[in-house]
Amino acid sequence: MTTIYTPSAPVSYSTRVDKVGRGQRISVTVRAIIAVLIALLMLVPVIWMGLTAFKTRPDAVAAPPVLLFQPSLEGFISLLTERRQMTQSEITAAEANRDQLDWANQIALLRGQTIIGTSAFPRQLVNSLIIAGASTFFSVGFGVLSAYAFSRFNIPGKDDLLFFILSQRMLPAVVVTIPIFLMYKEVGLYDTHFGMVLLYTSFNLSFSVWLLKGFIDEIPKEYEEAALVDGYTRLQAFRKIVLPQAITGIAATTVFSLIFSWNEYAFALMLTSDVARTAPPSIPLVLGTGGIEWAAIAAGSLAFLIPVVIVTFVLRKHLLRGVTFGAIRKG
Amino acid sequence: MLKKLLLVAVLLMVVTGVSVSAQGVTEINIWWAEWDPANYLQQIGNEYEAATGIKVNVVTTPWSSYLDRVSTEWAAQGTSYDMIVGDSQWLGQAATEGHYVDMTEFLNSNGITETVTPATLQYYGEYPAGSGTFYAYPTEGDANGWAYRTDLFEDADNMAAFEAEYGRPLAVPTTWEELRDIGAFFTRPDDGLYGVAVYTQLEGDAITMGFQNPFFSYGGDWYDETFNTLGVVNSDSAVASLELYKELYSFAPPGTNNAFFQEMNDAYVNGQAAMIMNYFAFFPALANPNINPYADVTGYFPMPAGPDGERFAALGGQGISVNNYISDDRKQASFDFITWFATEEVQARWAELGGYTCNIAVLESPEFLEVAPYNAAFAETMTFVKDFTNIPVYGQLLEISQRYLNAYIVGGQGTAQEALDNMAAEMDEVLVDAGYISE
Amino acid sequence: MAQVSTAQPAEAAPRPAARRHLSDRRIVQLFILPTVILLILMNIFPLIYSLFLSFTEYSVISANPPVWVGLENYTNILNDPQFWHYFGVTGTYALISVALQTLVGFGLAMLLRTKFTGSGVVTTLILVPMMLSPIVVAVFWRLIFNPSYGIFNYIFGFLTLLLPTLMGVILVLLLWRIVPKVLGESTARYGRMALLILIPVVAHLFWRVVLNQDQTYGAFYQQVTAIETGPEWLAEPVLAMWSIIIVDVWMWSPFVMLLCLAGLSAIPEYLYEAAAIDRASGWFQFRRITLPQVMPLLLIAVLFRTIEAFKQFDLVMGLTGGGPGDVTRTVSVQLYQLAFQGQFNTGQSSALAYIVLVIIIAVSNLYIRALNRAREG
Repeated sequence: MTTIYTPSAPVSYSTRVDKVGRGQRISVTVRAIIAVLIALLMLVPVIWMGLTAFKTRPDAVAAPPVLLFQPSLEGFISLLTERRQMTQSEITAAEANRDQLDWANQIALLRGQTIIGTSAFPRQLVNSLIIAGASTFFSVGFGVLSAYAFSRFNIPGKDDLLFFILSQRMLPAVVVTIPIFLMYKEVGLYDTHFGMVLLYTSFNLSFSVWLLKGFIDEIPKEYEEAALVDGYTRLQAFRKIVLPQAITGIAATTVFSLIFSWNEYAFALMLTSDVARTAPPSIPLVLGTGGIEWAAIAAGSLAFLIPVVIVTFVLRKHLLRGVTFGAIRKG
Repeated sequence: MLKKLLLVAVLLMVVTGVSVSAQGVTEINIWWAEWDPANYLQQIGNEYEAATGIKVNVVTTPWSSYLDRVSTEWAAQGTSYDMIVGDSQWLGQAATEGHYVDMTEFLNSNGITETVTPATLQYYGEYPAGSGTFYAYPTEGDANGWAYRTDLFEDADNMAAFEAEYGRPLAVPTTWEELRDIGAFFTRPDDGLYGVAVYTQLEGDAITMGFQNPFFSYGGDWYDETFNTLGVVNSDSAVASLELYKELYSFAPPGTNNAFFQEMNDAYVNGQAAMIMNYFAFFPALANPNINPYADVTGYFPMPAGPDGERFAALGGQGISVNNYISDDRKQASFDFITWFATEEVQARWAELGGYTCNIAVLESPEFLEVAPYNAAFAETMTFVKDFTNIPVYGQLLEISQRYLNAYIVGGQGTAQEALDNMAAEMDEVLVDAGYISE
Repeated sequence: MAQVSTAQPAEAAPRPAARRHLSDRRIVQLFILPTVILLILMNIFPLIYSLFLSFTEYSVISANPPVWVGLENYTNILNDPQFWHYFGVTGTYALISVALQTLVGFGLAMLLRTKFTGSGVVTTLILVPMMLSPIVVAVFWRLIFNPSYGIFNYIFGFLTLLLPTLMGVILVLLLWRIVPKVLGESTARYGRMALLILIPVVAHLFWRVVLNQDQTYGAFYQQVTAIETGPEWLAEPVLAMWSIIIVDVWMWSPFVMLLCLAGLSAIPEYLYEAAAIDRASGWFQFRRITLPQVMPLLLIAVLFRTIEAFKQFDLVMGLTGGGPGDVTRTVSVQLYQLAFQGQFNTGQSSALAYIVLVIIIAVSNLYIRALNRAREG
């Protein structure tokens, strides 16, 4: 496969999609149908989650499971508010004046509770946005720089260095939690946004360097070399030639890094308490009144899912650039 | 001007005898797991702030990660919390390693030890057992009890059918055998009804806690006075109790194979279970008609007795301890809070909010016994509670019991005798290694 | 070389080269240093600290300092028969799970490689399982697997009801092309119509023979599909591991898919056009063009999935907790049991972690070698 890239190759064939024959179009339809069916099947648990978000406690655990039910906003109330259990006399008083309560308090009253404030969830969501956003930016940024250097230059001990970078992901998290916790306490990074950004960046870096190197390796060197001959500096060539071609890789790495730092649980639980606490430690086990609040968990998970889905959807074009991209790849 | 005012204020405080050492502490942090009682404690804390101006933060962590979180703090000898409401089993480790303040003198001098029931003081506060040294003030008393469907028990057809089959009237069981019979009687998969739901979860301590109820009542124990497990853990009566527990599990709703308190309540509110075992702390949910459609037809009863009439209930609940690594000022501020919290008025308020007080006077008061349908059963239960061991190697012992109990009861591997034999042998090894038994 | 070269080119030629070389070196440093420095800062302490602890007897919650015990922790672990069980579980899980993820992920990528209306949306939707927090996934799947109030047994039962029909359809599709060859082109139409009758026949036979309760296969099928009594996926020793695998495949196949899709979309079309001109078969195109071209990225995906599978913790802990008993206890779960859960045996757990590390390094090396070979192709 050491075919040398020839500039004439990209223009020597057609990349037009509408030129496919009839047989192929049918097979595309069949593929599309199968793909949609599989997507639906895979989404069943997520859809179930969506339904559960609007269920009451008894409905969420009804046996056999129910598909049709009276929707309720209990889950969202549990997720977003801080509530106080009222004493019997307070409940009686509140029930008498039920109409004067706002809708949220009316729902809380069903459980004999009154709302005393917003929960930490919105604040934690903001923390998640800051920490996941920043760490994704840095890990992809540093990652693309290193990947380029590893891909294009002869670096002494390159393989060992690359392996060192990969090995960052090999030690089970359970073991590194405590050393990192002790270290963070010592240097004052405990419960800070900066500390979490550093940690997630370093965790994602090994993945992003390896993945991006895989993509950049596929971009022919000859392109940059031609540019260098034309008087571009290295940096210019990197910016104007390599980066645009590596966009699929960058998009994929961004999505993966974001997903990791967005959902990370163990370190967030151990290394933050109040100031920099992200949302994942709070969602999964919202223990409400004597049991799992399935609706609140579902509501929280869905709310928490939306930003990542949006980012992925925005990047989907780059993720699936299609056949034209192949033109510049070495054969 | 401002300085002068401040000086005057400080002088005034000294003169008027406001605790000098607690000066400057404006905020105290209490750690607990994430559940309703922690919200009640925050409420109590707000009232403390109103009374003294010192802000109380109750910081919570999900139950499943609570100990992990606490242990990292211990490792760093951290000061993130001033007081901690910790599980009874942690006491040995925390006391031996010096994470908790020795509260013996404080509790004795204030007479606080006299205000709580002896059993709660022993299990939530004392280490080592019988030493009279205390590390915690009993805060949330808790133990296993039962909730049952009175509509099913009082149904005429059921009563007649049960009497015809077992030769005695259908009533709240007083022995484990009776409970098993009732469980078998109500197990009707075709109607989606099952007799009992019991703890089975592998993670943490759930299945051990559930099993302990019949285990202790049948005369079983984890070790004798000389820490000997062989022949104690796997005694004949212990085997009988394990076989009984496994039988109970066969009457449980499908899917309660990794179940703890949440799943118990879930199986109850969806109408699958006629009786469930659970900690009293989780019964308020069952009394709430919006959560439990059967709230009006739910009754509660304490643990039944073993064959010899003995009965024990597995202990839950926690005591509040003070962090050993905080400054003396903060320790004093914490003691001040506990002194206030332990008064009868505040304990009555604590019970009113939904906390399970350990205060004798409040427990015996008619208001308490009547305020909630399960309180009478709770007060009775707290007289015969018994806990898993709290010695520092409890974690190793617990891992062994969890693994074998779950494998036998849920996984159906081996026999009860084999499971307990293996448990006894492995526990013996741990206790030998830890120096409790000389080789 | 230097001897033969004259002074003039020796002076003139290297200069721009040297400048470029120098600036390249600067670039290399600038580009790599942030990564390397950050990784060293963040990881060297935990790495060395736990290596040290692995040779000591120490509990993290203890006030006592670590006591050096040499290799004792390692020999203890390696002599423990349970240890091999945990590794067996981890290996089985990693192998099956990663293999299935690769197959499913690659298959999905092949389905989605040609764009169609809405393919962007479909791709995004397929990626959703991966975007959920693993801990939430585990908690929620427990609800889904629950035979009383979960929906898994219903869906699974429904899918398996379709199985006999599917068998018939597959058989007919296989025979479809052979019909003209056997019957001749003219009668092929009638032959094919007759073939359709086979679908219900095969379905019925499949029902009778394979799914009969008395038969060996039937017993398994009955156990798996009986809706009313439904299997307790997480409690049956045989099914517990499979339920973890199902969730893992559900969650992480999209990851493999996305990387494969990126690799597939980069294959130059002219390779296929050239193959089409040579009248190469579809299978040939797949083996000689698609697979080798996708291989580097596919291997990276598999490499990372394997590393993660060896470390798998959240899903196992959340779904079964390693149970029933210790049937599904992976090394990571055992590690957690040792390091936390009231035991706090930090020394022993560090030693176990290092054993895991060595194994992961060995396995990764195999992959990296394969990767390099694929690159050199």
